[in-house]
Amino acid sequence: MVPAPTSRACTEETTSVDETFAIATDRAGAAAVITVHGEIDIATAPQLREHLAAAVAGGGPVVVDLLGVSFLDSTALGALIGGLRASREADIPLQLVVAEPRILKVFEITGLDTVFTVVPTLADAVA
Amino acid sequence: MTDAVELTIPVASDLVVLARLTAATVASRAGFDIDQIEDLRLAVDELCVSLIRGSAGGRLTLTFVGDDDQMEVSCVLVPGPGDETAVVDDGDGADELSTQILEALVDEHGRGRQDGHERAWLRKRRTLQQA
Repeated sequence: MVPAPTSRACTEETTSVDETFAIATDRAGAAAVITVHGEIDIATAPQLREHLAAAVAGGGPVVVDLLGVSFLDSTALGALIGGLRASREADIPLQLVVAEPRILKVFEITGLDTVFTVVPTLADAVA
Repeated sequence: MTDAVELTIPVASDLVVLARLTAATVASRAGFDIDQIEDLRLAVDELCVSLIRGSAGGRLTLTFVGDDDQMEVSCVLVPGPGDETAVVDDGDGADELSTQILEALVDEHGRGRQDGHERAWLRKRRTLQQA
């Protein structure tokens, strides 16, 4: 289990007309926990891609907390797939935390629910 | 009641949210339920994204027509002067994912040309909730 995040390594915020997008990477022991809020689309997915690349480069397990995400599209999925590929090449576990049915539906209709390790709570994330 | 709304936006990634907002508003006025509205929000996003992934500039013109039975959305990419479209492949399979999402969320969708410009469209019928 990933311990509670203890330090904030990097935080970014972007305001759109719809709602605020925010992304931050915290350290939780050896793991990097990327917490995302708001909508991940073609405008904000590059920030997720950057955080994923940095987290994988850090060498420890990676957890992407999507509990605060209200929308994601194919560009967000593309960023996550890129992160997953990099983590596999580095032999690093990567887990997603998703609970919102609407977000889970996007993973299901693309078949990615069977590609990613998806857990319902941060506490379920296994390092 | 039939609504016909046209929206033109510059090709800019942070303006696609306007297309989603318009889709949700027109769908709501046409009587779609919340799940169908969310489906349309995502599907319209994918229409826009599928066109602007390969575009360096220009503008998108979206037409939303919603009535009691269905909603149709058309999205046309008009390149700006000197703008060239190019196939962009960042290796993450996002185009294929776009197609999968549209297949799952709408009744019909397609790509074509309109007045020499790239066009993507979708149609979603309104389903009534069980009483």
